[in-house]
Amino acid sequence: MGLNITVTAIDITGVTKRYGSETALEDLDLTVERGEIYGFLGPNGAGKSTTINVILDFVRPTAGEVRVFGHDVAEETLEVRERTGILPEGTATYDRLTGRKHVEFAIESKGADDDPDELLERVGIADAADKKAGGYSKGMTQRLMFATALAGEPDLLILDEPSTGLDPNGARQMREIIREENRRGATVFFSSHIMEQVEAVCDRVGILRDGHLVAEDTVESLREAVPDQTQLRVQLDRIPDDTTTALEAIESVDGVSEVSADGTTLVVACDNESKTSVLQTIEEHGVTVEDFKTDESSLEDLFVAYTEGDTVEVSP
Amino acid sequence: MSAIAVAKKDFADAIRSWKLMALTVVFVLFTLGGAFLASRMGDEAESTLDLVFALQTPAGFLVPVIGAVVGYKAIAGERESGSLKFLLGLPHTRRDVVFGKVLGRSAVVAVSILIGFSVGIVGLFAFVGSVSIVDYLQFTLMTILFGVVYVSIGVGISAMTRSTTRAGIGVFGLIVVFWFLWSTAVQVLHYFLEGEFFAEEFPGWYVGLLSIPPDTAYGSAIGAVFSDSGLAMADVYEHDGGMLSTLAEPWFGFVLLALWALVPLGLGLWLFGRSDL
Repeated sequence: MGLNITVTAIDITGVTKRYGSETALEDLDLTVERGEIYGFLGPNGAGKSTTINVILDFVRPTAGEVRVFGHDVAEETLEVRERTGILPEGTATYDRLTGRKHVEFAIESKGADDDPDELLERVGIADAADKKAGGYSKGMTQRLMFATALAGEPDLLILDEPSTGLDPNGARQMREIIREENRRGATVFFSSHIMEQVEAVCDRVGILRDGHLVAEDTVESLREAVPDQTQLRVQLDRIPDDTTTALEAIESVDGVSEVSADGTTLVVACDNESKTSVLQTIEEHGVTVEDFKTDESSLEDLFVAYTEGDTVEVSP
Repeated sequence: MSAIAVAKKDFADAIRSWKLMALTVVFVLFTLGGAFLASRMGDEAESTLDLVFALQTPAGFLVPVIGAVVGYKAIAGERESGSLKFLLGLPHTRRDVVFGKVLGRSAVVAVSILIGFSVGIVGLFAFVGSVSIVDYLQFTLMTILFGVVYVSIGVGISAMTRSTTRAGIGVFGLIVVFWFLWSTAVQVLHYFLEGEFFAEEFPGWYVGLLSIPPDTAYGSAIGAVFSDSGLAMADVYEHDGGMLSTLAEPWFGFVLLALWALVPLGLGLWLFGRSDL
């Protein structure tokens, strides 16, 4: 066991996957350290599921190699799966079997001794344990699959879009379980196309775009890279008499970078601290602020910048 | 063994299929019908031949359909729905899954056959009077073996493709071929080579080729079990003992059944083992 501690949880080296002339992954290198929660971000179609399918040996790479705890995933599938809990994307249940039967099967397959009802309780579907999984809603199916992934206290959890089909409350519960599992010692690798979900739990984030890893950093460092900017959207009761002067006055407020007007709506980009001065300046011009909204820039914007821009700088 | 866990779960799942229940009911009716017809054969009642007549016809016709219905979606269906990712996400190899499927679904077919034949024996007692229990059990075992062969063919083909439509066409196409296209093709071949459809004495290859399908192999193997029932092609046709006639010998039925069980399965395993889900 001593040796294993130095082994990384997931080690992807030079993985390329082509489907005919389509390239899903191009020379991907990615490392997930033991004990961390790694968020794998990217828009739909970026290659996240392909990456996960390669890690799970559902899909065989055109080139490259994947190791989980030092085991080659294609050669030593069983060794990998005995230690891994998996929530694959687009999986389905056996309609004719009950939820409990699914969990029991997972426990039996892993040679574990968990209590199936306890696992179902944990994901919040204990009351549906005896119902056939065919009658489950999408969210319940997702919870059931999550329960089977938790069977046998896996050392690694691989979750592909785990919050699919869950309401915000369900997604929050799932994040809580992810944290609990991590505290127990499990490494967690999960993918999402929503920054917010990743941001809330992950130690480190990798952003995938068109089969390439375009950014990889800790959530902290990514946060620091986000500029401290607010977009202030102000609703006025009427258009001020001297519009040009008013706009110029607002633009000259310290910390304001951009002002635009559309009828009685003003949009002001400024530093977080300048919000009050901006609102005061507006009212000095004889109009009343009926309502205002602020959009603080977030990691989401960064994510959008990474995944929607024309060209992307690969961060070191 | 991991395949056993898969087989148990698969049995629990597949036995709840309403299609299987419907087919079992049809099978029961066919068996009863066969038993009734056997009772109409008159003086020769109570012989082993009656038994074979009563049961081989419905079994030879319906067991392939039951085996195919139970088998063809085994892998392709789970690939289509995505539940295969659940199965393979657990510590099972692809080989475990395929073998587990064959085991689990063979058990399902065995249950269906046992139900059919249990009712059948009641029918035989009622219509015919008495039945040799030993013969009956042997016949039941042979039919289960025949069912297992078709499950293997079904699961094997199911493992070759991603689509249940293609798997279904493959499996049911094969059944149709074995039901009548095969023998027709052999007869046409005979006509072209020998210039006639019928002969006093057929060449060895003719009876040999006719014996290849699993359905005829099932008959041959039953012939071997009951020694003297005239079920193997070698006994049905006069032939010159030439090339390939060994295929028509009763004992060779077992060899052919084994090949039919293993070859499609092996091919399916090989293709499934190297493809993307």
